[in-house]
Amino acid sequence: MDTSRYAELFLTESQDNLSAINHALLELERTPTAREPVGALFRAVHTVKGMSATMGYAVVAEVSHELETLLDLVRRGERAVSAPLMDTLFAATDMLERAIELSVAGRESDVDASTTIAALRSAAATSEPAAHAPSPTTTAKPRKKRSSRRAAASAVAPVTVVVTQDANTPMPGVRAYLVLERARALATVVSTTPDPSTFSDEAFAGRLTIGLDTSAPDDEIDRALRAAGYVADIAITRAAPSTNGHVATVPNGDLPDLLPISAGSASELAPARQHRHIRIDLHRLDTLMNLIGELVITRGRLQQLAATINESALTETVTQASRLVADLQDGIMTSRMVPVWQVFDRFPRVVRDAARALGKQVDFVVSGQEIELDRSLLDEIGDPVVHLLRNAIDHGLEAPDVRVTAGKSPTGRLALTAARDRSAVVIRVTDDGKGIDRERVLVRAKELGLMDASRSELTDDELVRLIARPGFSTAKQVTDLSGRGVGIDAVHARVRALGGTVDIRSTKGEGTSVTVRLPVTLAIVRSLLAKVGDETYAIPMTHVNETVHLEANTIRHVKGAEVLVLRGDVLPLMHLRDVVRLPRRDAGGGQVVVLEVADRRAGMVVDELTGQQEIVIKPFDAVRDGLSVFSGATILGDGVPALILDVSSLF
Amino acid sequence: MSHTVLICDDAIFMRTMVGDILQQAGFEIIGEAETGVQAVEKYRQLRPDLVTMDIVMPDMGGIDAVREITKFDPQAKVLMCSAMGQQALVVEAIQAGAKDFVVKPFQPSRVLEAVQRVLG
Repeated sequence: MDTSRYAELFLTESQDNLSAINHALLELERTPTAREPVGALFRAVHTVKGMSATMGYAVVAEVSHELETLLDLVRRGERAVSAPLMDTLFAATDMLERAIELSVAGRESDVDASTTIAALRSAAATSEPAAHAPSPTTTAKPRKKRSSRRAAASAVAPVTVVVTQDANTPMPGVRAYLVLERARALATVVSTTPDPSTFSDEAFAGRLTIGLDTSAPDDEIDRALRAAGYVADIAITRAAPSTNGHVATVPNGDLPDLLPISAGSASELAPARQHRHIRIDLHRLDTLMNLIGELVITRGRLQQLAATINESALTETVTQASRLVADLQDGIMTSRMVPVWQVFDRFPRVVRDAARALGKQVDFVVSGQEIELDRSLLDEIGDPVVHLLRNAIDHGLEAPDVRVTAGKSPTGRLALTAARDRSAVVIRVTDDGKGIDRERVLVRAKELGLMDASRSELTDDELVRLIARPGFSTAKQVTDLSGRGVGIDAVHARVRALGGTVDIRSTKGEGTSVTVRLPVTLAIVRSLLAKVGDETYAIPMTHVNETVHLEANTIRHVKGAEVLVLRGDVLPLMHLRDVVRLPRRDAGGGQVVVLEVADRRAGMVVDELTGQQEIVIKPFDAVRDGLSVFSGATILGDGVPALILDVSSLF
Repeated sequence: MSHTVLICDDAIFMRTMVGDILQQAGFEIIGEAETGVQAVEKYRQLRPDLVTMDIVMPDMGGIDAVREITKFDPQAKVLMCSAMGQQALVVEAIQAGAKDFVVKPFQPSRVLEAVQRVLG
């Protein structure tokens, strides 16, 4: 069967299941005696196994099979939930994830799962009694009694039927059971060899002898039993019955007691997933998004034309169309929004692993999981947040003994919160660790010549700016997890590229809080249009605090730099003409746009303001080539291109 | 008239695949269920000619669902969908009233043969 068209579906669904597996593992680690996580684990692993076998992904199927075997032992209480066992399970889950990704990418041969499989097998083989008694919901394992002869020779059997199965019969024993059922429907079964209780053993040989008390003719028996499927041959003899005695009786209607394993009745892990959803390829939404972008641009053009023509019927229609476009835009934006838990879901596992590797005790709390963000933004923000979490565990939180000495609880608190703030989403990572060592940062800054040697203190703003510098790291030692000189600066760069900002607050001995502010959506932003010379520039409204007329008497000079005095506040003043390297105008006038980035404000002088517009951000390669003051480009309503100012880069 | 089918599996992937196999063979998929409880409910509502039933599902497993469905309709034709290694569970399902079974990975021809046996 051509399975390629199912690959995408397989991947998404496997990821859901992996997430469920990780959750259940964490739960199990916290409460080793809990039964629910084991049921959930078993079910998720089982689903992955079935899907991967169907896709023909042999490695994934094998790993999940071994994992399932081990979990089955745990479920039956035959393996205790110990730290080494948890490590084996976590490692196997990671391998499963890698194997799935590579298999879907067509690189199954790159996967080497032998170590994982060996570890799972050895954990399953180790005969170590469970620390706790099996709970009532788990039941006895399948019997392995090869020769359970419950009864001696049966009564006389007038008809003996030997059924031989096809060589390639799947689950021959179970199929034999169906043959037996068919026989029961036809006549009284007086004997069965081998005993039905051994049917479900892997070693079932594919041959079954049934003694029947019946008057039905041979051809009827033959037809009835063949209907059970996979029957290669049926031999019927009406001679004297066998007297070898190794025959078990199975009274009709009294079915053998065959292992009633309850198949996972544990509660569902993520009820949020039970909502009615359809899966849509993200590319389709991207296409719609692009079309809406074009439509928004066209709307702008239409509005301008209508204003020029000034004909009431036209204006009215354009207004109505504009409203519909806005609704449509809103609808499509909303359809791209996903709750942050879709990405935050894997963080408890990340935190657990990092804490273990670094010997820290961490109480990790996540809140605001339901906050929604544009899917593509959410994908982008995952890695930076992981970085912040690892940083907090590595450099923020102290080792348990250090914490106790400092009068804190040995377990550190790490909080990840998401919240909506106007048109932005605020993601914050807070720890109650030792805080950033300002003295060390200052020393390092002086070493690098970034700070005047006479300075003895750092403000919050200076602190942020320093540690956000590429390559600025004070980590005493490089660990496996962070501190390789790509710390907060990498996060900062990534967030800025997404049009967001990073802010850091840290108090020595009390902890650090890193706040990432992101626009809710990427592609369309409301912007202020400012003109300098013949060019129009777009300034995203998220960074515009207010606009004021430029008046000579509000400008002061402090230490040679221009500042703007605004209602008693003194703000640094920039000129957009300087930024784009145009000569300043001699004539006065002009406007000042008051920009705001993370509680800091500054004034920006422009020639004139020409309005506000929804602008669609177009990919813009020049950004990478050094023009770092622009974050992208757009096409305005009149068809003229404009550059979008990257406000946070100006601060 | 084509036979009607209710597909019960907690994995969309599996439902899609089984659905495709049966649809191509001319069956009409009239319902899908993700849990055992749903399977029983939908069986009562839809009265399909055939039910395909996964064994491991959330809230109520496939075996209990077969038991409930057979209690409601002793003539119900349920085909179990099983993975390798589940011999014991399949036997239990048959005791509960399932008529036949297929083993993953599914081959369309085997699924259709099993369906014929069940409906036959």
